[in-house]
Amino acid sequence: MSSPAFQIRSRVPRIAEAAVERARLTVVPRRRVRAARMPFVSLVSLVLLGGVVGLLLFNTSMQQASFAATSLEAQAGTLTAREQTLRMELDVLNDPQRVAQEARKMGMVTAGAPAFLRLSDGKVLGTAAPATVAGNVPIYPPAPTVPAILDPPTTYVDPPDTGASTGPSGNGQGKNDHKHHNSPGGTTNHARPDHDRR
Amino acid sequence: MRPTRPLQRAGRPASRRPRGSLRGAPHLRLRFGFIVIAMVLSVFGARLVQLQGIDPKSYAAMAAAEGMVQVVLPAERGDILDRNGEPMADSVDGLMVVADPYMTRDRAPELAKFLSSRLDVDYFDTLERLRTKDSRFEYIARRVPSTKATDVLNAAKAAGYEGLATRRDPIRDYPAGDVGANLIGFMGTDEALGGFERTFDGQLAGTDGSARYEIGGGNRIPLGESTITRAVDGKDLHTTIDEDLQWYTQRVLQQTVVGSRSESGVAIVMDSRTGELLALADYPTFDANAPLEASKDDLGSRAMSSPYEPGSVEKVLTLSSLIDAGKVTPRTKLKVPGVLNREDRPIHDWFPHDLLHLTLAGVIAKSSNIGTVLAADKFAPGELYSYLRKFGLGERTDIGVRGETPGILTDGSLWTHQTQDRIAFGQSLSVNAVQMTAAVNTIANGGVRVSPSLVKGSATTDDGTTVGTDRTTKSRVVSTRAAHDMAHMMERVVDPDVGVAPAAQVPGYRVAGKTGTAQRVGADCGCYDDTFTVSFAGFAPADDPRFTIYVVVQNPGNGGGGGSVAGPAFSKIMSYTLRRYAVPPTGTRPSHLPVEW
Repeated sequence: MSSPAFQIRSRVPRIAEAAVERARLTVVPRRRVRAARMPFVSLVSLVLLGGVVGLLLFNTSMQQASFAATSLEAQAGTLTAREQTLRMELDVLNDPQRVAQEARKMGMVTAGAPAFLRLSDGKVLGTAAPATVAGNVPIYPPAPTVPAILDPPTTYVDPPDTGASTGPSGNGQGKNDHKHHNSPGGTTNHARPDHDRR
Repeated sequence: MRPTRPLQRAGRPASRRPRGSLRGAPHLRLRFGFIVIAMVLSVFGARLVQLQGIDPKSYAAMAAAEGMVQVVLPAERGDILDRNGEPMADSVDGLMVVADPYMTRDRAPELAKFLSSRLDVDYFDTLERLRTKDSRFEYIARRVPSTKATDVLNAAKAAGYEGLATRRDPIRDYPAGDVGANLIGFMGTDEALGGFERTFDGQLAGTDGSARYEIGGGNRIPLGESTITRAVDGKDLHTTIDEDLQWYTQRVLQQTVVGSRSESGVAIVMDSRTGELLALADYPTFDANAPLEASKDDLGSRAMSSPYEPGSVEKVLTLSSLIDAGKVTPRTKLKVPGVLNREDRPIHDWFPHDLLHLTLAGVIAKSSNIGTVLAADKFAPGELYSYLRKFGLGERTDIGVRGETPGILTDGSLWTHQTQDRIAFGQSLSVNAVQMTAAVNTIANGGVRVSPSLVKGSATTDDGTTVGTDRTTKSRVVSTRAAHDMAHMMERVVDPDVGVAPAAQVPGYRVAGKTGTAQRVGADCGCYDDTFTVSFAGFAPADDPRFTIYVVVQNPGNGGGGGSVAGPAFSKIMSYTLRRYAVPPTGTRPSHLPVEW
């Protein structure tokens, strides 16, 4: 079976013997190269370990940052509140009413009509007049009127008649005095002392 | 092995039999065991179906809610500022101090003493609250500045008191108390109740934000859920009010009203050129920090809400219109009789006199009703009405104040001859004080009416109207010439020799003004009830006006008139304003128009 084929073959070897020879496939022996296991294992474990430790550190630092953020936020809140309170106090100090009261305490008075000194020719514009205490504008609000319930009419009780020494005329006088005290004008006694009021 | 078996059997006969009967047959035990296992597993299965199939979300939500915090990020309410940026109303972070009586009851007396000494609260009141039965929440103090509240709580903790806590409670503070209170309004516990606070609430309030995040041990969990919607703070409202001038105007007005034993008063300062209101004072007024202590009637702005008859100040409008129409000049000669009979009614002057030979300037200087009526006869029908409309009467000024009255100006078609006579000298029509200020300011501004404003820039009111200086309109009402002539005539009013209001003079300056003493209509009878509205309107310097000031006092108890009651107030406020804005005298010669012929 093989011999006729060989014969055929043997007829052609001269045509391209070298090429045929080169194209012929042969099974090469299997080569097994065993890579060193150690470096790879240590690399992988290093990566794993590094990852875990890094993640741990990263988490810890984030947690640390969160602590810091919380305490800083609390501090910012306190400072904001403090700033607002201070600004509120400043506004109270800036209140025109308070400034006027302080000025009055120092003995300052409300200015009168203004006059201007023109620097170019030294001329005085307007009528310069000294400010006087009489020109002061009262700066305190009038005292609130006392409600009737807090200012009841004084009840007057006749002292028991002890003898002839206290006559009825004396009692009558006393009664009038008390009634006078209860007149509407009497409520001004409750007014707060105001140096401006005349 | 075999021989031993019987032995063993015989050796333990007692133990073998009971053991077999107790355990039963192996296959029975096995079966029983399987049944038990099957029952337990089916319970597990049912539970699994319940957890995963029926309500899978609820447990997840419960787990998430543990440690999840939801907080409101409060928007800061906008400030109300004066024209120089000084706050007239501002917001401060505040806290409320609350107590849990369940925990405070035992040490209530000493805790009440501690709190009353530090928080400005009443001892007995606090004691009562700390002991309240069946309550776990009682207010101790509201609107405490947060630094103070925190300090107190820390001190309480250090002293070993328990059961106190704080909650957010923003404070609205009015640093200047009653200054501008009638305009600014005030806040209730949770909402704006009056004035600008309410009108511009949409702009001032802002929108609260919110934040959701997980916490653990008081700190935010870095990678946990976190959602933040930022708060949008309210926008500031800039007014044209000058706080210091407003304060001074209010004090002068208070002096005037109290000194003349009047019912109420209004004083307005307007920038002649821009129409900005620098001060708008009402008396009686209230402290915006304590609105409940004032009468309810005093909480609004009378300047805007109470119409009144302007009286002789209105003659300025009548006569400038006449001059503009070319009917008269300041030197027009009029024969003024002591009494003028018009149809069935006589018209009198405020002072008795025989026949006077007054010029038109004299009519203004002496404030003669009869002279004004005689001059107004020259108007064509309907002419005065259309002029008064152009001056802005009978129409709201829309400057952003709540409850403004448009006043009453009867439609021109309904005017009779007598109506015109009365309107010509300022009766039978009513106005609000800002309308009238703007009308007189037309003369100061060279005949061009500039609409008044109280808000700088622009702002939208709660009814959707846009107000503010950006919306200022200007319209010519009378010619420059007529305005100039009128100003000259008005200068004669404050002349110490010929005028009726020398007390309104500002020394060194040329002042133009007009008094008004009008009969008031009583609320009950609907007739003039012998009480009066006295007023003074004017501007300075007369030849280059910078400010228009109007002072109105209702029902003076001392019987004074416009010149003697409102005049001095005008002079004080004008003098202060000119000084404050550094307006030097013009130094020109004052008007010397003849008043008689």
